[in-house]
Amino acid sequence: MPSQRRPWGASSYCRGALAAFSCLIGLGGVAQAAKPIVIGTTVSETGPLATDGEYQLRGLQLGVAEINAHGGWLGRKVELKVYDDKSSPGAAVRLYQRLITLDKVNLLIGPYSSLVTVAVAPLINKYHMATLEPGASVPSIYVKGNTWNLMNTADSTTYLHQLLPLAKQHGAKTVALLGLESAYSLACYHARVAQAKELGFKIVYQTTYTLQTDFSSIALAIKNAKPAVVLECGYYPDSVNLVRSLHQQGYAPQFMGETVGPVEAAYVKALGPLANRVYGNSGWWFNFKTPGNAKFIADYKKMFHAEPDYHAAAAYTATQLLGAAVEGTHSLDQEKIRQWIVTHKVESIQGPIQDNQYGHTVGAVQDRVQIQSGVLKLVAPASLAQAKPEIPYTGN
Amino acid sequence: MLALQLLVNGILLGGLYVLVAQSLNLIFGVMGVVNLAHGAVIALAGLFTYWFTAHTGANPLLVLPIAGVAGALMGALGQRLLVEPVMRHGARSELLSLLVTFGLSYILIELALQLFGADFVSVPDLQSSWQLGSLAFGKALVVAGVFALVMSALLYAWLNHSMSGKTLLAAAQSPTGAISCGIDVALVRMTAFGIGVGLAAAAGVLVIIIQPVAPQTASDLTLLAFVIIALGGLGDYLGVAIAAVLLGITQSVAGYYLGGNAEYILPYVLLLVVMVARPGRFRRIR
Repeated sequence: MPSQRRPWGASSYCRGALAAFSCLIGLGGVAQAAKPIVIGTTVSETGPLATDGEYQLRGLQLGVAEINAHGGWLGRKVELKVYDDKSSPGAAVRLYQRLITLDKVNLLIGPYSSLVTVAVAPLINKYHMATLEPGASVPSIYVKGNTWNLMNTADSTTYLHQLLPLAKQHGAKTVALLGLESAYSLACYHARVAQAKELGFKIVYQTTYTLQTDFSSIALAIKNAKPAVVLECGYYPDSVNLVRSLHQQGYAPQFMGETVGPVEAAYVKALGPLANRVYGNSGWWFNFKTPGNAKFIADYKKMFHAEPDYHAAAAYTATQLLGAAVEGTHSLDQEKIRQWIVTHKVESIQGPIQDNQYGHTVGAVQDRVQIQSGVLKLVAPASLAQAKPEIPYTGN
Repeated sequence: MLALQLLVNGILLGGLYVLVAQSLNLIFGVMGVVNLAHGAVIALAGLFTYWFTAHTGANPLLVLPIAGVAGALMGALGQRLLVEPVMRHGARSELLSLLVTFGLSYILIELALQLFGADFVSVPDLQSSWQLGSLAFGKALVVAGVFALVMSALLYAWLNHSMSGKTLLAAAQSPTGAISCGIDVALVRMTAFGIGVGLAAAAGVLVIIIQPVAPQTASDLTLLAFVIIALGGLGDYLGVAIAAVLLGITQSVAGYYLGGNAEYILPYVLLLVVMVARPGRFRRIR
């Protein structure tokens, strides 16, 4: 079921005496011209990806609210039509098919997570819909022959890319690497395995895993391998379970890094002091001196009474980027919009966004954050860092 | 020492499985109803625990009796209003009750979504371990395991050594015979369902201490519980407890030597093997 109100059809404008008169005397065309521009999307409002999906939805809602506050696009209001894909790739494919063929939305924004987007991407390509993908960081989506999916965030091979060099500087020589069986996390995992080898780390333990809840055996194996660094590419629930299990098995590596989980407010609430000194990554941060960032943060807090994260920032960026393309081309033509996006660099709250010809964002990286005394702080790059990294991870 | 730690981890994991599965087993054993709302009850109770402790700062274990009693009362009421009416349809009652609890699970999941949101949450209690020499015993799993053990023992003793328990078993084995002996079978079923739901709600309080829970966790929990009771013997309380612990130990060893994926798929592989090798186990034990 859509979680937003249904977009107004032309018949809505014929309601009321004045509108009825306009329709009768043939001014239906005027009403038609003022029809809202509808952006269709799905978000994981339920299912295992719902924690991050909610941030994406809020980023989109805020973006659309601000667009409308400034008069919309092409003189028309903008509406968001959202379905819950339940974190299911299969459900998302059906819903995007519906958005394109039945709802006939004007524009699309992709779903949350690479896992879901990988399934939807061929459909978007088939229908030639220029679709921004704020929640899909796996690079294999943005390749030759699949060029209608347009990235607007850092790709997942950059997640936690600064952690191993930092650990090496502090004498770490061994690493345990874990990756969730999911598109983005496997891309991250394989990139970190390759990086560890390049940097001369000895990989003393590595495994991939499914969305399981028991990490006691994995934690015991890590404990026996005694790595200086434990680096996990996963989602929020498994991030929490791994840290907890390592603590229960009595092991605290010198460096503990996890993707996605640590940036969520629920992470610190779930782990308490165990979360301290865990590293995470973020493609956006509160202190970025980027155009509109301060306003984005203030408006987000006002609208949702909570703080944004990088998923919300990426979704908000997607609405800004799409708006720039629509206004830049004065059109809703998909080919023109796609062409505009892959040929223009746009300054966003995340920093400059520039896609290559295949829709892959060039040059964007995920920066390093660390939880310090229960508060998430940006610790790299040095030019933006709010604090120095606290070493070692203590696990309490 | 490694072998011992793997054994400890496996037994503790098995304790969690007993906790999750035994209440489903009770309801199935007595009524022949696969309660598909089982996982939703666990998730709802867990999320309530999170909400309650976040707002009061209370120890989550204090919620155990509240959840248990409230779950039992609501379970009994739900059974009388929703499940009992379909139990009078003879051979069709098992399928009809399956559909009723399936619908109920969706209502409870939606209720949890509306009340608590879609986020995974957990509580930061009992996160450390008790050490015995070099062996680590995760506190949350120990508490859950002890609770499951006590509940299973009480359940077993009650069913086999008390008049009311034997009445319940009699109603399970032959409803017609029980009625002819003057047993109020409808009351027995309501009692069993109430106790089962109460135990599931208590399990939810402990599960959220062990792992993050969200409304959508419900279906995973139901599936896991069903796999365990299928492996242990549908309606066989001792068999389910033994199967749960053996499964925990097997997963613990597989996870250590073969990695996360092997550990995850193991219950389902075992289920397939048992289904093929021992199809007779998939009958309700009366």
